[in-house]
Amino acid sequence: MADRQRSVRRPNIRKGTLLANSNEQGSEQGSDLELAQLARAGDESAFAEIVRRYSPRVFRFASKFFRQRSVVEEAAQEVFMKAFTQLGSFEGRGSMEGWLTRITTNTCLNMLRSAKRRPELASADLSDDESTWLENQLSEVAAERHRSSERSFVAADLADRVLENLSSDDRVVLTLIDGEDASVKEVAELTGWSESKVKVQAFRARRRMRAAVEKLLGKQLPPAVAGR
Amino acid sequence: MKENHIIDLLENRSFASLNEGERAAIQAHAANCLSCARAYEATRVASSLLRARASETVEPSPFFHTRVMAALRERQNEVPAFKRLWQSAGALVSSMTATVALLAVFSFIIPGTQTAGTAQASASNGYSAEEVILNQNDLQDEQASDAQVLTTLYSADDSGTR
Repeated sequence: MADRQRSVRRPNIRKGTLLANSNEQGSEQGSDLELAQLARAGDESAFAEIVRRYSPRVFRFASKFFRQRSVVEEAAQEVFMKAFTQLGSFEGRGSMEGWLTRITTNTCLNMLRSAKRRPELASADLSDDESTWLENQLSEVAAERHRSSERSFVAADLADRVLENLSSDDRVVLTLIDGEDASVKEVAELTGWSESKVKVQAFRARRRMRAAVEKLLGKQLPPAVAGR
Repeated sequence: MKENHIIDLLENRSFASLNEGERAAIQAHAANCLSCARAYEATRVASSLLRARASETVEPSPFFHTRVMAALRERQNEVPAFKRLWQSAGALVSSMTATVALLAVFSFIIPGTQTAGTAQASASNGYSAEEVILNQNDLQDEQASDAQVLTTLYSADDSGTR
């Protein structure tokens, strides 16, 4: 059931579109501002319309950081609660989508920070499926053959387990930059960090992620590489 | 190419953003360097993992907006803790004021009412309160005279018996 609800496809968030441009939004943005004003004035149906319109987007974005449906839903609900209390800060200069994405990022970041980090993942902790997936990845031919399996449940599960060993800040930059192709500038805008902080964080996060994966690969490195 | 160059290249940018030329250069160097080859492989696998993870999305349930609106209403109805404390304090002060007022009524107003009632009762009996108090001596005199009568009677009986 959970698998069926999880649609496995490339996200529609591509480079340069994490923070939707106000010019692209056109008339919808105008109506977003009206909805925000009505909701601020106490019109419940206006806020319900905002939730209906943007919950798919908020869900998709929150699911980059959490895998469990219940946690994603909790995050999304918190996002809309915050959005309601902060409606006054939405002045229509940017898009509502971008505004909500920023709230989602901060909410997810806070939730990740409060979550307990898991102990380091060792190769002995891997399931058979995960070990097989890693083996396939190390063989170029197999990697090509299993290109589609990159997006498989096993890979996503393993990615999640590796990410759980990293700090919340590392997870956010890796997910957004390396996973979603977001630019440094976009991540800076979403998180409220400076661009230099994002760069440094990404640099360190990649190093830690690489070290974790290298440790998992360990003995599985192909002879051609391991033997050199 | 120095070992550091590859590591820096791998860590400075996302793997997906490396162009063909950069990848070819990295692979050429990795062919002769074990640690760089391992770093390259690990980075490639890490990138695959992150992209696989990014491909997963969760869609909202059809009831999500209903749930949000219900939670919103619930939160709006919730009285903040400070406000609740203030209200409790207000209720306490009000009840204390009411108690003091009630005590004042019992202490000052009710006794006055009782005096008036006593005066009325005395008037209906034909005796005033002052008369009852001032004639205590008369009562004592009457009681004494009764005792004297009884003594006289008993002494008369005694003398008759003899």
